[in-house]
Parts: sequence; structure tokens; C-alpha cells
Amino acid sequence: MPTIEVPKEKWNGKVREITLGATAAEGGTRAKTVTVGGETTLPFLHFEGEIPRPPAIAIEVQDRKPVDWSPVLLEAWGDVTEDVAAWTKAAAEAGADVILLKFSLHDELSPDYARQVLRHVLDATGLPLIVFGPGQADLDNDVLVAVAEEGKGENFVLGVCEDKNYRTIVAAALAHGHLVNARTAMDVNLAKQLNILISDMGLPLERIVMDPTTGALGYGMEYGYSVMERLRLAALQGDGMTQQPMLVTPGEEAWRAKEARAGEGVPQAWGDWAERAINWETLTASTLVESGADIVVLRHPESVKRVRGMIDVLMSKSGVTS
Amino acid sequence: MALPGNSTRRIIIAEHSVRFEPSGQTVQARTGALISEIARQVGLDLNMPCGGQGRCGRCAVIVQDGGAGIRRRSTLRLTSEDLVAGYALACQTVLEGDVVVTVPVQEKIERRLVTDKTATPIVLPFTYDPLQHQSVRLLPLTLDPPSMVDQTDDWSRLKRAMASAPSSSLGQWDSGNGTWMKQESAADDGTGVVDLMADLSTLRRVGTMLRQHNWAVNAVVEIDIWDRPDGPARLIDLLPPGRTEHLWGAAVDIGTTTVSLYLVDLLTGEVATKAAEYNGQIKRGEDVISRIIYASKNDGLGELQSLVVGTINELLERAARRAKISPSEIYKMVVAGNSTMIHLLLGLPPSSIRLEPFVTTINHPPPALASDLGINIFPQANVDCLPGVASYVGADISAGVIGSQMCDSSALTLFLDVGTNGEMVLGDCDWLISCACSAGPAFEGAGVRDGMRATVGAIEEVWINGETYEPTYRVISNPKLEAQGQPTPSRGICGSGLISLLSEMFITGVIDKAGNLNFDLGSSRIRRGEHGPEYVVAWADQTEQGHDIVITKVDIDNLIRAKGAIYAGFTVLAQSVGIDLSMVERVLIGGSFGQYINIEKAVQIGLLPDLPWEKFHFLGNTALQGALLALLNREYRQQIGEAAQGMTYLELSADNSFYEAFTSALFLPHTELAQFPSVAEVLADRDMQSVR
Amino acid sequence: MALSGLEIYKLLPGSSKNPEVKKHANCKECGFPTCLAFAMKLGQKQAVLAQCPYVEEESKAKLEASAAPPIRLITISANGRKLEVGNETVLFRHEKTFYHEPGLFVRVKDTQADAAEVAKAVGEYMVDYVGMNLTMNGVAVEAAGGDFAATVAAVKSACPLPLVLLVEDPAAAEAGLTAAQGTQSLLWAATPDNWEAMAKLAAQYKVPLAVRAAGGDLDALAALAEQVKGAGVEDIVLDPGVRDYDSSLAAFTQLRRLALKHNERNVGYPIIAFAGDDPVLAGQHIAKYAGFVVLDRFSSGTVYPLLVMRANIFTDPQKPIQVKPGIYEINNPKPGDPLMVTTNFSITYFSVANEIESSGIPGWLLVADAEGMSVLTAWAAGKFDAERIAKSVKTTGVAEKLSHQRIVIPGHVAVLMGELEEELPGWEINVGPREAVDLPNFLKMQWG
Ligand code: SF4
Ligand code: FES
Repeated sequence: MPTIEVPKEKWNGKVREITLGATAAEGGTRAKTVTVGGETTLPFLHFEGEIPRPPAIAIEVQDRKPVDWSPVLLEAWGDVTEDVAAWTKAAAEAGADVILLKFSLHDELSPDYARQVLRHVLDATGLPLIVFGPGQADLDNDVLVAVAEEGKGENFVLGVCEDKNYRTIVAAALAHGHLVNARTAMDVNLAKQLNILISDMGLPLERIVMDPTTGALGYGMEYGYSVMERLRLAALQGDGMTQQPMLVTPGEEAWRAKEARAGEGVPQAWGDWAERAINWETLTASTLVESGADIVVLRHPESVKRVRGMIDVLMSKSGVTS
Repeated sequence: MALPGNSTRRIIIAEHSVRFEPSGQTVQARTGALISEIARQVGLDLNMPCGGQGRCGRCAVIVQDGGAGIRRRSTLRLTSEDLVAGYALACQTVLEGDVVVTVPVQEKIERRLVTDKTATPIVLPFTYDPLQHQSVRLLPLTLDPPSMVDQTDDWSRLKRAMASAPSSSLGQWDSGNGTWMKQESAADDGTGVVDLMADLSTLRRVGTMLRQHNWAVNAVVEIDIWDRPDGPARLIDLLPPGRTEHLWGAAVDIGTTTVSLYLVDLLTGEVATKAAEYNGQIKRGEDVISRIIYASKNDGLGELQSLVVGTINELLERAARRAKISPSEIYKMVVAGNSTMIHLLLGLPPSSIRLEPFVTTINHPPPALASDLGINIFPQANVDCLPGVASYVGADISAGVIGSQMCDSSALTLFLDVGTNGEMVLGDCDWLISCACSAGPAFEGAGVRDGMRATVGAIEEVWINGETYEPTYRVISNPKLEAQGQPTPSRGICGSGLISLLSEMFITGVIDKAGNLNFDLGSSRIRRGEHGPEYVVAWADQTEQGHDIVITKVDIDNLIRAKGAIYAGFTVLAQSVGIDLSMVERVLIGGSFGQYINIEKAVQIGLLPDLPWEKFHFLGNTALQGALLALLNREYRQQIGEAAQGMTYLELSADNSFYEAFTSALFLPHTELAQFPSVAEVLADRDMQSVR
Repeated sequence: MALSGLEIYKLLPGSSKNPEVKKHANCKECGFPTCLAFAMKLGQKQAVLAQCPYVEEESKAKLEASAAPPIRLITISANGRKLEVGNETVLFRHEKTFYHEPGLFVRVKDTQADAAEVAKAVGEYMVDYVGMNLTMNGVAVEAAGGDFAATVAAVKSACPLPLVLLVEDPAAAEAGLTAAQGTQSLLWAATPDNWEAMAKLAAQYKVPLAVRAAGGDLDALAALAEQVKGAGVEDIVLDPGVRDYDSSLAAFTQLRRLALKHNERNVGYPIIAFAGDDPVLAGQHIAKYAGFVVLDRFSSGTVYPLLVMRANIFTDPQKPIQVKPGIYEINNPKPGDPLMVTTNFSITYFSVANEIESSGIPGWLLVADAEGMSVLTAWAAGKFDAERIAKSVKTTGVAEKLSHQRIVIPGHVAVLMGELEEELPGWEINVGPREAVDLPNFLKMQWG
């Protein structure tokens, strides 16, 4: 009888371990912290390396009720979207490890307003935070600098930090003890370059989360998928500039897709709206988790449940270990 | 025995005497003091362009007794001979004993640093023997005059004289006398030139010439050419009997940006003069693609053809004037150039070069008559365009491969020709693979706001002080001003200047690795100009035009793209055959900027792979060199044809990996710093210094 | 093991030591300009060895060995609908590409009253995704104690797609195979207990046979495959007997690695996976190495995302991804808002669209068909010129949506301005910035 040797790769790299949030003892106010990273093999291949902890799930809440969200989503959350503190609590109950607070674009958005919102959220939850600006360079800088200062020592992840505006955000993270989310457009090289530029400013690599961006299922997901696989392979092969844990936002991407947004006027073959929409988010997220995501940001509570279920089994180490 | 602690203390407080020559000042200084500091204390003004970081080598001094009494922290820029001679960098050298320090005059340092970069004189890889190698010959003929007895026509008479002339009378150079000798030997049975042809316009002059010179003439004959290797020979011209000292030919390289020319004596194989000028087509587009597009419009093709011919004629004029001849005395021209340039010269529509599937009209064009092209050499002289490989790897490369002799060795060689297109060849005597990528004209000083060619007034090297961010630069000087002891005002920055500027800005942190100017440094030279962020290299009062010479963010991006494209070309070429760039044994660099660039700077910006410096060989304009070889030696002419045939061409546009390699290279020096260990070291050093 | 281009070249006439062979170097008879060019194409499997008539025998043997596929290609079919799986050469799609999409099957039981109905729905399902028609690949009929042969027959007549027969009792299997005559079905499964009988059937009916081991025992699986092969069955499919996320990820990864990197011939076959009714697990199977994926439930809202996911993962990463040419509305533009043009290379499109979108400025983005190239490349290759831009302005009818006739072209193709004015009489051509990043500012300044 032939005996087959389990084919194991020898990796010499390791994903950096990064902790989000800070407890009182660590200079913050969080009830708990969340650590990600530390893998020494490809996702969930327990038979050849360490997967010390599961990927974290973040749930996105916004400072006010989103105007452009799919009714499927708004319905799932109900009234809490009217109040950011309530929403934050609901998200924590829905199983979030981390809360992502995203500021939306509106006239009242100002540094002071951002500080107030942040206070509400900090009071509403003991979970670590990720804070994203509205996505417009100037405003992002204003909002994030204010938020960074207001939450000094909380060890947030500040985002989105991109090559054209990284300096201000990185400076804020340096000054107030936070992390940054370095986002680049689905390209291995750009991801590495931004990590280098940021660390050249003096922010240690232990404080950079990288966000290689991804498209939703059907909208370029495979691009992001392969970029993440390549980044993770490079990290395991010892490339120090790719060893950041990866954060991706499949929730936002998937719910932008027509398949998730539109209930009417779509082909019959698309099937039931809610079923399809939730599958859209879940499949985008689960595929990215399997390509190396360490933090996935989701929107629908049902997706959270399903992705959590998958991660739980993948972490159970029931796989072949012989 | 003294305790170690004690002994250390004793050394630190020790004082030594330092004497500076030629000024003779003497001073006491402590162990560990920098020579540059001590010099400053006594009021000696050492030149320190890089701000004392040990990068520029300009602060070199000579320490007597080969450098005893000092310790060199860094010996970068110093050769082993320098060390023996006692050279030390004042900014990197500390005192450990009594010394005498000589401060050399600055010019001496300049000269020492420059010598390693000066272009090699043109040496032919073979001993030129026109009888064996040259196909255009000068044949002294003496004809029997016609008479009533012999009414043979002039043409037959000429042919008869030629056939019966001793073969050695095809000419032999007598180096002893320095004259062209007609030698006869008993065993000779004639030249073998039996079959002769001539163009009508040559024929028209035969009768007059023979009679005017009493039946003794010099015939200019082209015995063969590549597309008719077995003849028949062609009579090009008849010269008076005395005209035997020279027989002129020209080798030309038509670059997209620069056209260069050698005027060559075909009797001796010597290059009499060289000349170069921007290609007149530039105003119709900076790169080949724009030219191709321009050519497809109205009479764009005709216009571009006459523009380049204009440039060639101008160069011919200039070269001929210097050699005190007339261009019409030139009887042969060999042209190298990329496929588009050759198409445009010949008036062939180039549009298919640019469109899928990227083919040329002809890779190996037949010779054309100068008069047909409008080139002002002898009208019936042949203009022979060398063969190309593919649309984007042209005759400049086949010529370069031969000119650089890359395929003569089994050493894995990378040959690079940097012009507006970066063309490169990888291989050895067994195989060759080539590709081309568009670098743009930046390295030739064009397409950059204050860029210029490497001529008088060009800033050709720059150093930036790592603390003050002030630049120091060297300008290609005007000999007349120099003779009067006056500085040459700067007019712009040439390719090598741009490379060194980019490298200095990067190493000193004036720009980040992505090329963004760092406004946090607080230097007045970093500012927002009309065209966005920029760095001022020269203030208006130091320039000829009276306005600031700057490098803008747009220029920086252009340069990074240019270097990125070239490096990506290397990467993909190596990948395509499964070779690692570090396996390359020789890097041969040709191209019109080849002889000036500074390897270290080019490596620092990631233009060239980070290999030991001794692997790089600058060959100057290899295309022109190849054209010269083809002009002089029919064997080389044939080899160029074979190289073009046997070279494998890698089409980068069909290759996704290029895009990948390109984005990876759009960073300083490269996204993979590990591929540039020497640069990583310099950066680590810099960070150490800034901590200190 | 695959050879690199240069390694192949060393075996071709161009580098032969034998002058009789060497003389053919670069003769072009293979249809490529040089031996090296041919070698590189061979390495990329874009040429076949037979194209060169002059390869020496010894080299030929080496080259053929290196070209043998490490994972056998398995074909099943029915009514001209064919499914091919296997022949994969890489572990990660970016290394080259994944070639054969795994088949998606829906399981029906012979005890299930609506088996034929479900099969019909599966057979009829078709959905359009970026111009491709995505369909399911077949039905897996399970012998669960009912009338297996009758169910197979009913499914076969209700659905034109290939079948998988899930049956371990050789007698039932034979009945099923008889009922499935005329199709090339996959027979599942041979186990240590029944393999001889099953192998005989597979050989007799000329169908591929799946071998099943228990609980991820790869040794047992390889042994079984070897035995079945010894019994004359060449077309084999592997079922390592794992059903959850964790153990299937481990087992499938190991099988793929064994086949590709360790040349383990006994597991050089495609894998069949059972995802139950969990689409997320099916998704994992698609991305991670299954050749056949069997779902327990058919529902459009679930299979549509799965089919799209499969199409995504199996897209050739070497080919640029294109977006559909046309007019894209960003931030709900009004007739007076700016019109910009770019190419249909997805990255180009996304970077331009993202910049505009995140700036909040409403605008019309005209995407011209440039065959999926970026602006500069397309321009250089003549795929993005005045003529093409004018054509897309006209064919999209964008003019009717606008109250102005102004169009912004990318700064990289500023040279097109003059020609475009000729092609689009009456239009004002504005040259925009070279990089997308600068678009928002440009629009703010120029489009008051
Ligand atoms: S057929 Fe092709 S590979 Fe074979 S010898 Fe000729 S050129 Fe070379
Ligand atoms: S090397 Fe000493 S000043 Fe530059």
C-alpha cells in the first residue's frame, strides 16, 4: 500500500500581530482588545502552521441613517440606524468583534461633530473601533485628526489612508497612539509601496493594517482575491512589507452591487432578493477570508452569522493532520 | 598594564597637531575630530557639495604618509590607489594622530572623478584592411587612349582597364609612407572586376572625365553590397588622378531624439569627426508613437522624412566643415536606427508598426541612392539602412548587439540601449532575446521642463546637502569662459544631471520613495510653482536665461516612469526565459546617453540593476558603433543581418507581466528594496546619520 | 515538471551540438521566428512539439514527459452538453489561470417525488452575467432506497445535462447506468468494499468512476485509485470523504499539492465535493480545488451568486478585465454636468469612476471600447483615437442626455484634441489631467 506524505510547505514568514483597541490599563477605555495576525501558513491550513486566532468580524455603523443603503439592510437593522449609539449596541449584539464607525458625507460634518459622534460610540460599546472618514481627502483629514485626538490612546484603526493623503492621517496616528488602515487599489505593488511610505514616516509596521481593496462578487472580486493571495504568499515567504494583517470591506462592496441593491426590474433568474443579496455579501466575504483577510467588515447581521459559522468550523482543526 | 577604561580615556583627551597645506596653517585638535571640522575652524573653505555625507567625494584631501594618524569612516568614492596615495574624505575622516593634510585644488579632484566616466576612444575590434573588409574602393586606373585602331567605347575601355588592373591595385594602404600605393606583383591576374555597372548620371560624366584627365583617373567603385554579395560592381564616381588621400564614408545613428554621425575615412578606417544634434522631427512628437501618428496625417510622412534628412544634412555639413571637405565627397553611408526612424527616413508609411499585430513594412530594406532620399552626400552613393528585428527592436539594436560584441561571449550578457525607447537584449553566444519599452525622451533631456542635451551649459551632475537641502552642481563648461576663468552659467539639466538629481533628492529625503516632494523640510527650494510642486536647482541669477531652473513633480513622475519602464523591461525579459537578473555577468550599456551616466546614481534610482559596478560597461552609442563596423567591414555587415534574424523578440504589449513589473518599478529605487542591497545600505546609513 | 522557456530551448535544434540538427536553427518552419520563440510558446502551452520537425529523439522524450498534465482531464456529457474538469496546473490562479470550471450539480434522491421537476429547473436555469450565459452542469441522482433506475430515467428525460450517479450498490449502479445509456455520466463511488464490481461496471459502460475513502484518509484514497486503475479504469475522480469546511480545505489542498508538486500520479485526478445546502461551503469548494460540486438544494437566489463566483475565480488573470463600453452615470448627473471619456480597461475605469464618485461631483463617464487597454497603451496601439472616441459618443447617444457639447479627454492623449474637433464638429474638447487623482480638482476649476 502506498503511503502518502502530507505535503507541507516550509514558510519562513509570519503575519504581524496587531492589536486593536486599548483597555484602561493600556491607556484607553475599551472593555476588550482584539488581536489579529500571527499566521504562519496560508488561511486555515492548520496541518502545516499556526493560525493562532480567527479573523475578526467588524460591523459597519454610520453616524446617521444611510441614505443609499439597500432596504434589505435597513430593514434588518430597523430603527437603530437612526441613532449611532443604539446601532453600535445592536452591532455588538449581532456578534461584532470590532465596530467600524463610518462618517457619511453631509453638511453638518465638522471636526466638532465628529468628536461628539465618537463620544457616543465610545460610550455605547467596549469593543475596539475602526474609524473611517467620508472618503474625501480634505474632509477625511479634518475628521480623522479630530477623532484621533478625541480618542487619544484608544488605539483605533484610522482610515482610509491612501497614497495621496497618507501624511496627515499617519501624523495623527503617530501623535495620538492609533493605527492606520492603508488602502490601495487592488495591486500588490501599490500595497507594499504604501506600507513602505507610511513606515518611512516613522509609524511602526506593527501599527499598519493593510487594505488591498476588493471588488464585490461579480465586480472584480477575483482581482482582490488574487492580490490578497499574493500578498499573503509574499508575507509567508518572508517579505516584511507584506506582513500586515489585511482588512477588507466586502459588506460595503457587495451592497453596492446591483444584485444586492435592486429588488425590482431585475432578471427572474436572479431569484429572491434577500436571499441573493445576503449570499452576495456572504460569498464575497467568505471567499476573501479564505484568501487571507484578517478583518472583514460586514453590514448584514445574517451575513455576520454565516461568516462566523464558517470561521468557527475552519478554526476547529478537524482537518486532516496526519 | 593600564586598565582598558583608563587607556580609552587617555586617547580621547589626546590632542594632535594638524598642518594644512598649501596654506601652512597649523592647529591642535582632539582625537576623533573630523578633518572637515578642523579645516573649518582654521577658516579653510573645503568644498562639500553633499553636506559632509561622504557621497560626493568632493571634499577629498591628501594625508601625508599614506594616511597614518587618521581613520576613514567611509572610503566610498576612493579607489585603492587613492588610498595608497593618502586620499581621504575630509567629512568622513577622524583624527587619531599628528598629520599633514594637503587640500588639493578643486579641479584636480574633479578631473580624478571624471576620468572614470570619459568615453572610450573608438577602437575597432579588428585590424582594418580595406582590401579585405571594404566594399567601396578607390581604384587608380590608367586607360589606353582610344585611336582609330582601337575604337572601343569609353565604358568598355574603362571596364577593360579595371579588369586587367592588378588585384592589389584595388588599393593598398602603405602605412609606412602614409600614402595610397599602387603595388604590382607578378602573380597577379587582375582585379576580377569584370562586370561593372553604373547609373545613368555617372555614365554621363565618364567621357568628359577620362578626356579631361588624360585617361588616368581614380575610380570609386562599390564591389559588392549586402543584397548583391557577388556583384556586379558599381561605378560610383571618377576622380582626378591626384585625389587619393581620402575616401569618405559616414555612419549615422538616427535616434528618436538625437541623430549622431561619424565621418570616416574608408582608406584608414579612422573616424575624422563626430557630430550630433536633436532630431528635427522632435517638434512633431517626442516619441515614436506620436511620430507614427503624425506620419499618417496629410503629408506628415513627407514632412518627417525631410525633417530627418535636414538634420542629417546639417550634421554632414558640420562634420565636413571640420574635416575641410565637401559632403559630396562622401561615397557611402550606413544608417542605424529604430524601425520607425528607418521607415521615416525611407519614406515608408510606419502606421502598421503601431497597430496590432505590430509589423513593419520591411525589416531589412535594400540600399537606396542618396539622391533619392535627398541626402547631400555624393548623389549616387548608396545609403545602406541596417536591418531590424521587429517593430520596436530596430537596426539600432542589431547594430548595437554587434557593436557591443555581446554575442561573442558565453557570458550571460544584458545589453541595454537607452534612448527614447529603452531597448534591451539578454543572452549569450547561443541565444538572444530582446524587447523594447517606451521610456520617453526624459533621459535625453527632452520632455522635462528644464531638460536639455548634454552640451555647454547643461547641469550634468548634482549633489544635495543632506542637512540644508542646498544643491551644488557641475555644468558642462564653455571652454572660452573657462579659459578666462569664468564660470559657465547653467542653461538646463541634461540626462545624466537628471539622474543624479533624482538620486540626490531621493537619498536626502527631498522626495519620498514615491517621488512626492517633502514640504515638511522647510527649504525655500521646495515650493509650489505654476506647474505644481517643484524643487529649485538653480536660482535665476545663476542661469543663462535668467529664470529659475527647476525640476517639477511632473518631471519627477516622468523620470520615475522612464526608469520604471526600463527596469521593468529587464525584469520581464529575464522572467521570460526563467533567469534571475542577479545571474547576469555583464551589463553593456549603449545609447546616446550611455557614456555619461553615473552607475551609482542610476542604480540608486532603480534604473539599472544593483550589480557590482565592475559588471557595467559603458559603450557609448553602440548603434553608431555598429553602423561604423558595418560601414568598414562587410563581415560585420553580414553579422548584423544574422543577429537581426536570429534574435527572439518579446512583445511586451502581449504580456501582462510587464504591467506588473512596471508598477513594481514605479518607486525609488523599487518596491522590492531587497533587489537593491547597495541602496538599502545607503538609506540605512542616512538614517543612522540623522539619528546621530 | 514544467520546463522554463530557456530549458526547453536547450533541447531544440537552436542549441543542438549536432551540426546536422543545428543547421535548422531558426528555420521558422514551426511558424515562429526563432527556436527560442517557439520554446517560449511551448512552455506556455501555446504551441505543440510536433510543430518542429527537427527535434532530436532524446529531447523529444524529455519534452513530452514535461508536458503531461498532472491532473487528468475528465469529461462527462449528455445531449452534446459536455463538462470537462481537471488539467489544472497551478495552486493559485495568479500563477497562470484555473482552466476548467468545476461542475455544479444538484442532488435529487430516488425517494423524492419532485426529482424530475427539480431536474427540469436545473436544466433550464440560465442567467446572463456580463454577456456570458451561465448554467448549471447537471444533476446528481442518489440511490436512497427508491426506484433508482426509474428516477435516473425520469431525470434524464427532464433535464438535458450530464448526470452523476450516487450509488454504491453495484446492482443498482448497473440499473442506473443502463437507464442513463446515451449519456456519459460520472459513477460514484467505488469504496474498499465494492471497488471490483464498480470498476468492472465503469470499464464496461465506459464512464468515469469516483473513488471514495473515509474521513480524509488520503492513503486509502490513493490505494483505491491505484486498484481501480489496475482494473482498467483510466478516468477517475476522487472523493476523500470529507464534508466540512476545515477538513475539505485541508484534504483538497493536499491532493492538489500532491498532484502538482509531488507528481503523485495516484491522486492526479479531479475531486468531487458535497456542499450540502451551504452555499458558502460550495464557494470554498469552487475556489479551493473541487472539480465537481454537489448541492442539496436548487434555488436561483443561491446558484446565481455561486455561478458568478465560479466565473470570477476562473477568469484568466492574464487577460485584462474589461468593463462594458458605454455611458456611466456617476453621482446622479444632470444634463449640464461634465462628460469625461476613458477606456474600458477595468482598472482604468474603476480609478476614474472612483475619483469622481468620491469627490461627490456628478458627471457622465463615457467608456470607449479600447479592447481592455489602459489609456496610454490603447492610444499607442491605435485603440483609443479620435475616431473611436467620436464613435462611442455617437453610438451611446450621450449627446441627447446633455445640455452641452463639451467632452473632457485624458491628459495623456492631449494630442487627440485637434482630430477630435474634426470628428465631432461643434464640440468643445477639453484636455483633462493625466492622472485620475487630479480629476476632481480639475472639474472644480474648469467646470464652474
Ligand atoms: S522549426 Fe522552429 S524550433 Fe524547429 S528548428 Fe526551425 S525554428 Fe527552430
Ligand atoms: S563626500 Fe565629503 S562632502 Fe561630500
